[in-house]
Amino acid sequence: MSEINRKSIMNTAYHTMHPIDDVNIDVLKSIYRFMLRLRKCQQALIKEYHPANEMRCPIHFCIGQEAVPAALSMLLMKNDFLFSHHRSHGYFLAKAFSLRLLFAELYGKATGANGGLAGSQELSVHSSNFYSGAILSGMPAIAVGTALSLQMKNMPNISVAAFGDGAPDEGIFWEAINLVALKKLPIVFICENNGYSTYSPQLKRQCSDNLSERVMAFGIPSQSLFGNDVVAVYHVIHEAIKNARDGKGPSFIEAYTYRMNPHVGPEDDDYLNYRPKEELEFWRRNCPIKLIEEQLFRFGNMNESEKATMLSDIDQEIDDAFCFAKASPFPDNLNWDTLNYANTSPMADRLLIETDLKHFNQDQDYAIPRPY
Amino acid sequence: MRQLTYSQAINEALNQAMEICSDVLVLGQLVDFKSGIFGTTTGLAERYGSSRVIDFPVAESLMTSTAIGSALGGMRPVLVHQRLDFMMYSMDAIVNWLSLWRFKSNGKSGLPVIIRAIVGKGWGQGAQHSKSLHAWFAHLPGIKVAMPSTAYDAKGLLLESIFGEDPVIFIEHRSLFSMSSNVPETPYRVRFGRAAVRRKGNDLTLIAIGGMVPDALKAAHQLAEQGIEAEVIDLRTVSPLDKENIYTSVEKTGRLIVVDPGWESVGIAAEIIALVSMKLGKGMKVNPVRVCLPDSHTPMSAELEKIYYPNVNFIKIAAKALCNKK
Repeated sequence: MSEINRKSIMNTAYHTMHPIDDVNIDVLKSIYRFMLRLRKCQQALIKEYHPANEMRCPIHFCIGQEAVPAALSMLLMKNDFLFSHHRSHGYFLAKAFSLRLLFAELYGKATGANGGLAGSQELSVHSSNFYSGAILSGMPAIAVGTALSLQMKNMPNISVAAFGDGAPDEGIFWEAINLVALKKLPIVFICENNGYSTYSPQLKRQCSDNLSERVMAFGIPSQSLFGNDVVAVYHVIHEAIKNARDGKGPSFIEAYTYRMNPHVGPEDDDYLNYRPKEELEFWRRNCPIKLIEEQLFRFGNMNESEKATMLSDIDQEIDDAFCFAKASPFPDNLNWDTLNYANTSPMADRLLIETDLKHFNQDQDYAIPRPY
Repeated sequence: MRQLTYSQAINEALNQAMEICSDVLVLGQLVDFKSGIFGTTTGLAERYGSSRVIDFPVAESLMTSTAIGSALGGMRPVLVHQRLDFMMYSMDAIVNWLSLWRFKSNGKSGLPVIIRAIVGKGWGQGAQHSKSLHAWFAHLPGIKVAMPSTAYDAKGLLLESIFGEDPVIFIEHRSLFSMSSNVPETPYRVRFGRAAVRRKGNDLTLIAIGGMVPDALKAAHQLAEQGIEAEVIDLRTVSPLDKENIYTSVEKTGRLIVVDPGWESVGIAAEIIALVSMKLGKGMKVNPVRVCLPDSHTPMSAELEKIYYPNVNFIKIAAKALCNKK
């Protein structure tokens, strides 16, 4: 049984990366660029949040947690489904790509991903099969049903659910684990274990801080790993996705990582002293972007000018997204009824027959229910 | 015309829906078992296989989420709960995900998920087998609530729900299951938000819901023998409500009794009386009345059930008082 847990991960002061030479260099550079773009985007949003106060929704930033979404961005097909928790910007970009859609949503604008109705915590892009939400373990449970439909329809696609270590506090999480094992569903569960549910450490809430041991008991291939090594994360997710596509059933991955920003919003929350200093220092030293960057530079595949070009392109895109979001109109002419109900039924119109009440015998016999 | 019982009508609706469209699924505990949830799912597993008629683990919460996810993947799932009480574990899935899905997607994504919930009554069902929480669900935006009282409506509303685009809580009162009515063989539709006037009358409007409709009709027939002509309106769906039919009838009769198989306070009866009061105010001849369950959980004892559940006599007494007759 695996001995990996948060403590064992932190026993290695400086992590060395999984060798990069078995991943295509273009893929590696795309992963690196994805992580840089995500980090830059988070930093820009944090900077812009106050005092402008134009983004008026809770935002859960994901600085330090770039590795899993970056790996997924390279591995998912267009028709795969991705379900995310509320710290969702990385997953959003992995599946839906557009900074404009993301920023406009944060500004509550009509041009946002959800037309300004959902905000950061519940981003979704239906046409990209991307969904997220703020209630813990809601999305992994829904991902199960999508996996079931993909299996029934014999689709080549899979369902991926990403969540934090808070989700397995919920009972429904284990109902989901049981069902995917029972039905051998094409699904990959990825836990970004950042050690805290808001301010509550995992070992205050759970009997162990290794989740894959527990999931393995259901007969699901499960693996825990140092989640800031994006190459290792890439390999593990790659294999899990391949197994799901090949009809070999579900996998569970637990990537130990860390959130370098506060739980929510732009203001620091470490004054609350809920995270040990050594812990923060360890994860700062082992920043996922720094680790891959060192490898890319050391092995001569990348140089400073290439990085500078990437950064200036990213800055330009971020500026463009801010301009787009700020210039976009707020939603108007809302109709509460049609927002909440379809009220059209094209399928029923096509398949069902209109009849009328004259067929109805209103003197139906008055029966006494039988004992049961 | 051919007659079917309420449970046979539900069975026929499911059978026809599954035949017309291979995306229709049925999920629930023992939906594939011989007895078939009071006969409503009998024969489906044999005909459509266990991959579409899915005996689900006793995990109501996940069952609802699974249905949501499968609808995203293009399915039209029908969940079955042998008792509405059992689906309480799935309130998060219903409230926080299903009901607001369309809204938060800005109309881009809808979930045709149907949740059949059976409500027990009598023979000591007790507090955990008898709750009809239609008012809770009707309170939620984004969800429709059907409460058919006849075999005809059960089939038509279920088909309409399955092939519609909105989530539906489909509440079936167990006391109706062995009643029968004319049911066409074709797959037909009964629209949401259209109440049925079951009986015409000028003296009094009796608005009844689900399992109380047969009682209201029986009371109306007996009242007619005593010179009171009650108009009986079967709401058929409590979300959306057919406000126009309600207003039209009460404008005509000036007297209103709402017969609601839910608890008295903060229920659908309260909602209807509020709507009518706001619309007609002093235009009514007398103050409206509601005949509901007392604000209490359901007792087991047969003798207590008799006083707990409103019956034909309750309705008649209220009607006679309203019309000033002894």
